[in-house]
Amino acid sequence: MPSQPIPNAAVTSSAETVEQRFRRLETIWESETQFLSDAQRIIEHPAFQEIIRLGEAVVPLMLRDLEKGPRHWVWALPRITGVNPVPQADAGNIRKMGEAWLRWGRERGYQW
Amino acid sequence: MVEHIKALFPRLRAAPFRVTSLPDPVYNCVAWAAGVTDDWWWPLENPTEAYWPDGVLRVRTLETIREVFATFAYAVCPGEGLEIDFEKIARFADALGVPTHAARQLPTGLWTSKLGRGEDIEHSLHDLEGHLYGAVVLVMKRPRSHG
Repeated sequence: MPSQPIPNAAVTSSAETVEQRFRRLETIWESETQFLSDAQRIIEHPAFQEIIRLGEAVVPLMLRDLEKGPRHWVWALPRITGVNPVPQADAGNIRKMGEAWLRWGRERGYQW
Repeated sequence: MVEHIKALFPRLRAAPFRVTSLPDPVYNCVAWAAGVTDDWWWPLENPTEAYWPDGVLRVRTLETIREVFATFAYAVCPGEGLEIDFEKIARFADALGVPTHAARQLPTGLWTSKLGRGEDIEHSLHDLEGHLYGAVVLVMKRPRSHG
């Protein structure tokens, strides 16, 4: 289920914004990894990898989602930004990991 | 609102099961089997990205899973049947032996599972077997008084 190719993932209509593309990929990824426990498979999912390749433009979108509640964007953000502000003591605590990313975003002037 | 679960676990289409929580991205099946609801347990290579007990190799094998639960006093046992003085956990793996899922036995003899980011459910153990989680490959138990 989760390792199927992503149809049209790399082909984007010129009318599709980055946010629209992000949300389209998110829907695929959520649907195909919802019942997985294996974080490696969740991260390696083609849609998640495509989201990571969207780069810094999606960082504010992820931070906006994290402000609403815990999300697995905490596994995408280090791969996009090259940094990881999560203290070792909070490893695996998805809620606290998200809070660390929100602090990081505010410190760097991101707006979302 | 259980059709999405039945769609991925065909045995649940004809078997009773009960949803016992809302979806939650904070914890997964391994944490839930250990009785934890605030961490995602998985041996990701980067130790800041997921919880994994100290001293257990961060590799995705049944042996490391066995070691994780051994740290909580579980020992491998041959049977999944209810033993009133013991609590049991079961591990699922795919055809290649890669761990996919964990479940914990309830005092009723039914099992409780956290389905990835999704819901917790109560079910018969083998009703989650199939293409997504593979099959039950390991059962462990510990004295109920320990927990």
